[in-house]
Amino acid sequence: MKRYGEHRFPGKLFVVEGIDGSGKSTQLNLLHQWLRAEGYGTVFSEWNSSPLVRETTRRGKKRKMLTPASFCLIHATDFADRMEHNIIPLLKAGAVVLCDRYIYTAFARDVARGMDPGWVRELYAFAVRPTLAFYFRVPLDVAMKRLLNGRSGFKFYEAGMDLGLSGDAVESFEIFQGHIIKEYEEMIPEFDLTVVDATLPIEEQQTRMRQLVKSKLAQAKRLRVAP
Amino acid sequence: MRSTYGVVLPGMNLENLPGKLIVIEGTDGVGRSTQIQLLRPWLEQQGRAVVDTGMTRSKLAGKGIKQAKQGHTLGKVTLNLFYATDFADRLENEIVPALRAGFVVLTDRYIYSLIARAVVRGIEPAWVRNVYRFALIPDAIFYLRIGVEELIPRVVFSTGFDYWESGMDLHPSEDMYESFQKYQTALLSQFENLVEEYQFKVVNASQNIPEVFEDLKEGISEVLAESEPPSLEAIGAQGHREALTSPSPVPADGNGAES
Repeated sequence: MKRYGEHRFPGKLFVVEGIDGSGKSTQLNLLHQWLRAEGYGTVFSEWNSSPLVRETTRRGKKRKMLTPASFCLIHATDFADRMEHNIIPLLKAGAVVLCDRYIYTAFARDVARGMDPGWVRELYAFAVRPTLAFYFRVPLDVAMKRLLNGRSGFKFYEAGMDLGLSGDAVESFEIFQGHIIKEYEEMIPEFDLTVVDATLPIEEQQTRMRQLVKSKLAQAKRLRVAP
Repeated sequence: MRSTYGVVLPGMNLENLPGKLIVIEGTDGVGRSTQIQLLRPWLEQQGRAVVDTGMTRSKLAGKGIKQAKQGHTLGKVTLNLFYATDFADRLENEIVPALRAGFVVLTDRYIYSLIARAVVRGIEPAWVRNVYRFALIPDAIFYLRIGVEELIPRVVFSTGFDYWESGMDLHPSEDMYESFQKYQTALLSQFENLVEEYQFKVVNASQNIPEVFEDLKEGISEVLAESEPPSLEAIGAQGHREALTSPSPVPADGNGAES
């Protein structure tokens, strides 16, 4: 088993992180379109999407069977399946892989749920270190405003209702996201996250992202495929 | 107070767990479940309340693991973490509540089989030990020791060779017999590495069923007479304490995906 950081693949891995409502998915979609238009072999890998594990996760959430420990481990299982069967082979093949959420989401959520920080980091030691990890920093009230405009409510685990922070889902979500922001902030120096000011106009954020991504692609072996 | 191998899960109160946690470990086909079937009524006759549990029996992940194994497509890290999920669910929802209620918990395998199997499949030993650091230290671990040459006839004349128990995922070009022999030899040698580290009580499993049963009864009677639960200090698990104080640092300056 290779450890975090020991992998050497021709592909590139770009990940976006941040709380819900930070706009990270919008930015990743724009980046994806641009990379494809530029002719790069680009693939998306989504959080929580392994077909082997999804059914167990879905059942656990639906029946509220998950504790902080099993929540943490089932997500690590899902991530491992994607890492072994999706991300690593793609990177070996020289693809540009884009991830909406990565191990930092797990670190933030699991530690906010009371899991031991050192233990969780070691748990994910099999993960490949990203070429760049963008953190979309946004004040909690801005994110809340964006989210409350666009959706009707929050799911049980999403709002951290399992922690008993508040009986009200919106209030619980807000408190939980506050803990998660704190965890993200601590990870910026630890993992060298690239901070993006997510209150800036969408185009400005995207321009910055593309510049940084381009600088990494220029160093890489030629990845262009025919459009 | 009870101890874990270094990490305590959120919400897990280690005080007031007066039951006994007894582990029966050993390789595939060695006779663990036969012995558990004998031990359960024997304990109940003494007025002990007994719960028995084993791998992949969790409500959360048991079914998912069985389905995923059908396809033989699970990666080794994924399979190991799926087992860890199953174990965590059983620990929190089955083992700990039973210990709190004063039950004798008899478990068919525990974390040691999972560690041995993972290491045979090339998983880093330190990593897999860390995964299971949240496990409670059992009151006793009985290891049913057998040699591979004695194991083969038992498996052939009972269940036959199983894909995973033969390590076919590791030796896909071999036939089941050759693969079984290689895999179980490697697995038994991993178990031997764990004997001292985790303070196994070794039972000679090449004896016949009643003889093994007698040895287990004697060992378990001693455990039931003890009043203090085990601790990391008591078992002298040096390695685990070290692991606790130095979680492996993750370098912040790597660029792993670079060519």
